[in-house]
Amino acid sequence: MITISRAPAWLVVQDLGWQGHRAVGMPVGGAMDRHALAAANLLAGNRPEAAGLEWALGGGTIRFEEPTAFALGGASVEATLGGRPVAMYTAYRADARDELVVNRQQAGVFTYVAVQGGVHVEPVLGSRSTYVMGGFGGLHGRRMRAEDFLPLGTPQGAPPPEGFMAPPELVSSAEGRPIRTTPGPQAGRFPIAETDRFFSEEWLVAAASDRMGYRLKGPPIASEAGGTLASEPACPGAVQVPAEGGPIVLMADGPTVGGYPKLAIVCGADLGRLAQCQPGRSVQFCSVSIGEGQRLYRRRAVQLHTLASLISGAPGS
Amino acid sequence: MSHPTPVALPLGESAVTLSWGTTVSADLNALVHHAARIIRAAALPSVEDIVPGYAVLTVFYDPLHTAFGVMADRLLELLQSSGGEQETGPAPAEHVIPVCYDGPDLDEVARQTGLPVAEVIARHTAREYRVYLLGFVPGFAYLGELDPALVVPRRGSPRKRIPAGSVAIAGQQTAIYPLDTPGGWHLIGRTSAVMFDPVREPASLLGPGDLVRFVSGPG
Repeated sequence: MITISRAPAWLVVQDLGWQGHRAVGMPVGGAMDRHALAAANLLAGNRPEAAGLEWALGGGTIRFEEPTAFALGGASVEATLGGRPVAMYTAYRADARDELVVNRQQAGVFTYVAVQGGVHVEPVLGSRSTYVMGGFGGLHGRRMRAEDFLPLGTPQGAPPPEGFMAPPELVSSAEGRPIRTTPGPQAGRFPIAETDRFFSEEWLVAAASDRMGYRLKGPPIASEAGGTLASEPACPGAVQVPAEGGPIVLMADGPTVGGYPKLAIVCGADLGRLAQCQPGRSVQFCSVSIGEGQRLYRRRAVQLHTLASLISGAPGS
Repeated sequence: MSHPTPVALPLGESAVTLSWGTTVSADLNALVHHAARIIRAAALPSVEDIVPGYAVLTVFYDPLHTAFGVMADRLLELLQSSGGEQETGPAPAEHVIPVCYDGPDLDEVARQTGLPVAEVIARHTAREYRVYLLGFVPGFAYLGELDPALVVPRRGSPRKRIPAGSVAIAGQQTAIYPLDTPGGWHLIGRTSAVMFDPVREPASLLGPGDLVRFVSGPG
């Protein structure tokens, strides 16, 4: 069990979300930076899809009530365990009553705390993720607060030895490079000059960005046939362009259908990197083919597989 | 039913959107649900989700196992080979939803349509509606087609919070809000029917292609 001693403004349970319920409007949900949670899980001795903590918007403290292996992933933070510094993407073992103190994020938005055995709240529709808008999943469908406690699952595998660090190339996120996208189904509805501008402009992540969508600030983009279409399925990463206002990139909790033309779709391999862009940060996008998007997706999977192999081969694990 | 061949377009690296057109039409939407039944029945191993829109059907798949071109061809073949067949699978579920017609916008709808309130209610309850698609939030079903006499544009300014169970109309559609959400539709009534309950089986009261009738009552 772990206890929340002091909660940041955003602390929820997330796994990799829901699958198979989009037809009734249930978003995919889950971790905003899926690769970060999955990699941290491997370092805590879990399967990649185990439930962990999604942490944002400030510092806080959690207490381990029993000896527990854990690891941090995603947005880098200054953290300590029993007063000793804790590094990102590194395997640790907490003793009973050890406190993990996390300070404000140094870069990025979402930090993941993966704990051995995974957070063992009751699954809803097959996922332990928190869907705050619907008020279900995770811990009572809400953010955690001080004095909440979370049960942990039975450890399934052996965590790597304490101090084992993931090779940076398996967890890094090509910081600073443009966010890769594939052409959206309505890409042809935009004049070429507008599409070119979308890919040359430096967009600012607007303050009104959340788990449903990231709004981009910059000169508006015009589509040829006006700003709407008959509602059709969308997906996390879809760059929707309304008639007025800037593009909106749908994120994990975004609606499953949308009525705005989709200029591009952010590649799954880069969506976590966009999720980690704080409001006010500038981002640039570039276009790749579907074949390249699929190759990038597979490469992400290979990175996790490689990390899992390194862990299972590590001495003492 | 005729089976025009859809266009297959990628929706990112893990989905194919089959498109029959771009308009809101009961006929196109019927094609969408028919195609969904065929693809569901085929149970292709890497398919993860089958999601209808008005005139499109999106199939999500695992790109670790299938390339876009292979999946698109497979889906188009499936639809072609089951071309002229009769409707397959079970008949669509039919639902009767009791509604208390006392919504805050009922008088405004009556004014805009030039109909007495009683006539608005009579026309809203007179039809059977099809669930064209669900989305916006879990369990939110877009139902159509509305009686043309009841068609009014969305409200000029959306409400910040619409209570769950509100029965609403906008354009050619009607819907029931499953959760407390913002929204710009006209609220004409409310129901105690629970549209979405994640721990119920099935979680969503309404599914794609289902039929819905409203009855006036205590809601």
